[in-house]
Amino acid sequence: MPDSHVLLKDSPGKHVLLLGNEAIARGILEAGISVVTTYPGTPASEIGDSISAIAAEAGLYMEYSTNEIVAVEVAAGAANCGIRALTAMKHVGLNVASDLVMTLAYAGVRGGFVIVTADDPECYSSQNEQDNRFYALLSNLPCLEPSNSQEAKDMTISAIEISEKLELPVLLRTTTRIGHTRGPVAYSRLTKPNLKGKFIRDVKRLVMIPANSRPKHPVLLKSLEKAKEISEKSPYNRVMHEGKNKEFGVISSSSAYNYTVEAADLLGLDVSILKLGMTHPLPEKMIGKFLKRHEKIIIVEELEPYLEMQIKAIAKDYAPNVKIYGKMNKPYFPREGELSTRTVATGLAKITSKKLPINFRKIDERYAEIAKDLPPRPPILCAGCPHRASFYVIKKVAGEKAVFPTDIGCYALGIAPPLNVGDIMICMGASIGTAQGIGKVTSADTIAIIGDSTFFHAGIPGLINAVYNNHKIIVAVLDNLTTAMTGHQPHPGTGITGMHNPTEKILIENVAEGCGVKYVKVVDPFKIKEAEATLKEALQYPGPSVIVFRAPCALMVVRERRRKGAEIVACKITNKCINCMACIKLLGCPALIVEEGTVSINETLCVACGLCASVCPYDAIECPEED
Amino acid sequence: MEEINIVLAGVGGQGILLAAEILGTAALKEGLNVRVSEIHGMAQRGGAVISNVRIGEKVLAPTALEGKADMLLGFEPLETLRNLKFASEKTLILMNNEAIPPPGLTTKMMNYPSLGEITEKIRAFTKNVVVLEAAKLAEEAGSILTRNIVLIGGLVATGKVPVKIESLKEAIRELVPARYLDMNMKAFELGYKYVQKKTKLAF
Ligand SMILES: Cc1ncc(C[n+]2csc(CCOP(=O)(O)OP(=O)(O)O)c2C)c(N)n1
Ligand code: SF4
Ligand code: SF4
Repeated sequence: MPDSHVLLKDSPGKHVLLLGNEAIARGILEAGISVVTTYPGTPASEIGDSISAIAAEAGLYMEYSTNEIVAVEVAAGAANCGIRALTAMKHVGLNVASDLVMTLAYAGVRGGFVIVTADDPECYSSQNEQDNRFYALLSNLPCLEPSNSQEAKDMTISAIEISEKLELPVLLRTTTRIGHTRGPVAYSRLTKPNLKGKFIRDVKRLVMIPANSRPKHPVLLKSLEKAKEISEKSPYNRVMHEGKNKEFGVISSSSAYNYTVEAADLLGLDVSILKLGMTHPLPEKMIGKFLKRHEKIIIVEELEPYLEMQIKAIAKDYAPNVKIYGKMNKPYFPREGELSTRTVATGLAKITSKKLPINFRKIDERYAEIAKDLPPRPPILCAGCPHRASFYVIKKVAGEKAVFPTDIGCYALGIAPPLNVGDIMICMGASIGTAQGIGKVTSADTIAIIGDSTFFHAGIPGLINAVYNNHKIIVAVLDNLTTAMTGHQPHPGTGITGMHNPTEKILIENVAEGCGVKYVKVVDPFKIKEAEATLKEALQYPGPSVIVFRAPCALMVVRERRRKGAEIVACKITNKCINCMACIKLLGCPALIVEEGTVSINETLCVACGLCASVCPYDAIECPEED
Repeated sequence: MEEINIVLAGVGGQGILLAAEILGTAALKEGLNVRVSEIHGMAQRGGAVISNVRIGEKVLAPTALEGKADMLLGFEPLETLRNLKFASEKTLILMNNEAIPPPGLTTKMMNYPSLGEITEKIRAFTKNVVVLEAAKLAEEAGSILTRNIVLIGGLVATGKVPVKIESLKEAIRELVPARYLDMNMKAFELGYKYVQKKTKLAF
């Protein structure tokens, strides 16, 4: 992977191929943003991770916060001391942070403050595909939407400037395709970070009691008017192409704009395209003028009809007779999933009665023939993953009748056969709370499954609730000592900070005891007998209990061993094996392979965790002694 | 210059994203406009990975249209097959013959198709298919982990990638950790020579 140090080169004019997320990181350095906070989440993680790798050298402060609202709080505190700050998160992170953001919009900031929200159309790695542009409408905060890496960098800098001008946080909204696509980025000068802030006491401005917040609402609305003027003049809102076709005009933004240009080209459709990069507030006059110039307007946008709703309202005032095509009344473009050049071209062709030059149906049919018997390749727990051992123990002891509310992380993959653990999963932290409701109204044993990073993020209030309201649930914390799912970021239990400094390790068992849980045990999931005995005991315990299943993520173990130059010797199947398939049926480790009825171990994949050896009824698997 | 679309497909851990980045970086070195798309997030757990490298003045979108790939670089046979919708009879397919069966096939009562079946289906799509033993060549270069560079070497040898060999080598030098550089340069040469020899017969 690219060395983040390329981001630190002070070589203006240089062109570098960067992911949208790396471009935002470069924007941070060029804008002199000095406090960067984040909680990891795909597709935003590379912003924080790139900055973490170079923060100390760059002289700025970076932290992985416990969760998104804390991340925004820390950054907002610094920004209110006049320091430039940025918080990055995935789209659902903004739900967590929204309580703060909605009222921070009233209080405002003194130093520039950018909140990056990375949306995930198509749910590539998320539990939903909500459209966070509506947070801009809801909060009255300005919003910028880049369409490529260059804009991702430029808009990070512009967002800081707008934020300082308006004294408001500014949203920078990306999507998976923006954050995870590489494109050329031209470097500008770096700005030295400044961490010397000054807090100015101003109770009326910053203490949001009703008497102070009430008058702040009209102030916010006035700022919104100023933001509208900025939007009218913004270089990001402009007609990118004047077409010969005067009947149709197209309005688009972000990724949708890229597809639109290529789709129009494909169809030979020479239309004017108004591209919107500042999408809140919208440049009403500019849009009004564009509407007046055309009989028909096509709006191409990903996910919800966010632009369409507002443009229809603008049309009422500026061009009541213009016909608007989009996704609201008659859906020419899908409202769900991500767009593509194909879906946009198909919609444009329908609206403009052009013929598609590619027969997609034929391609689909031909492909369906090929794809029909292809075995799928879904993501699964890695070979040697400690979660597999935990699930094996949990399933064996609690059985089929128990209910397993689960949570978000690698361990959500426990729902796959043969483990089949995970019955309800909604959002981070919800396992512990939903377990209590299920336990209250059923006679089933309820075992909440939650990861370590998720426990710190959102699990603790639920645990306190279980103690306070005496819910008899078991909380199984699958502690793999990292935030694995999103790329192995540190968290409060790892003893390391985003600046790569050692710090206090917060132990989950201590937190649980502090919350008043009386039955708290720590087990090693690979010591199966002990773990089973502990879980059996917990099932008999009359109140809430916590079992921490602690063993490091297998990927980290392998990396650490490689770094030390130690060889990994795989486990071996001996001639005692009668191919009973117990290990296959119970574990589903990808290193265990069956070929023509015979079990073998893939030596490159096996990390010698020893789990299969422990479950083999014939003692037929030999593993090397641990060093 | 005509627009060039390269689709790379395989399994998490095969070095696909680095290969795509090397191709993109080399193109940028020659002043070409480029987009490299990645879909990752769960790749570390052996899932399917796909990346697009799109080169050309007018390129904006992250992914190529179905049927419009000029080249399909298959890191794994099954995943090559899975991404045939991007190919047409004009597509050049360069495929590593290293089969990585998805885990759990036995419990699902499914079989990994034989290499013969896979190549047959692919050849029905296009005659421009080059199969190479990237894993074996990579081992020869010093490590299986260099198979991505073997494949890049092979791709370049077809003469269809619109960048100079020097730019590609420079991109490799920039993006591969220094201590593995010699090994990777060797991998590049091995892939290049292998395909050069093979295509002399094929084209
Ligand atoms: C509000 C919110 N923020 C971030 C994410 C992204 N995310 C998914 S799982 C996860 C954490 C996983 O860590 P952990 O609980 O330790 O489980 P592991 O993956 O290590 O097994 C994160 C940050 C999310 N889904 N929702
Ligand atoms: S990355 Fe770590 S925690 Fe996630 S599945 Fe692999 S071994 Fe398990
Ligand atoms: S020891 Fe067994 S269970 Fe563990 S990684 Fe190797 S094959 Fe898989």
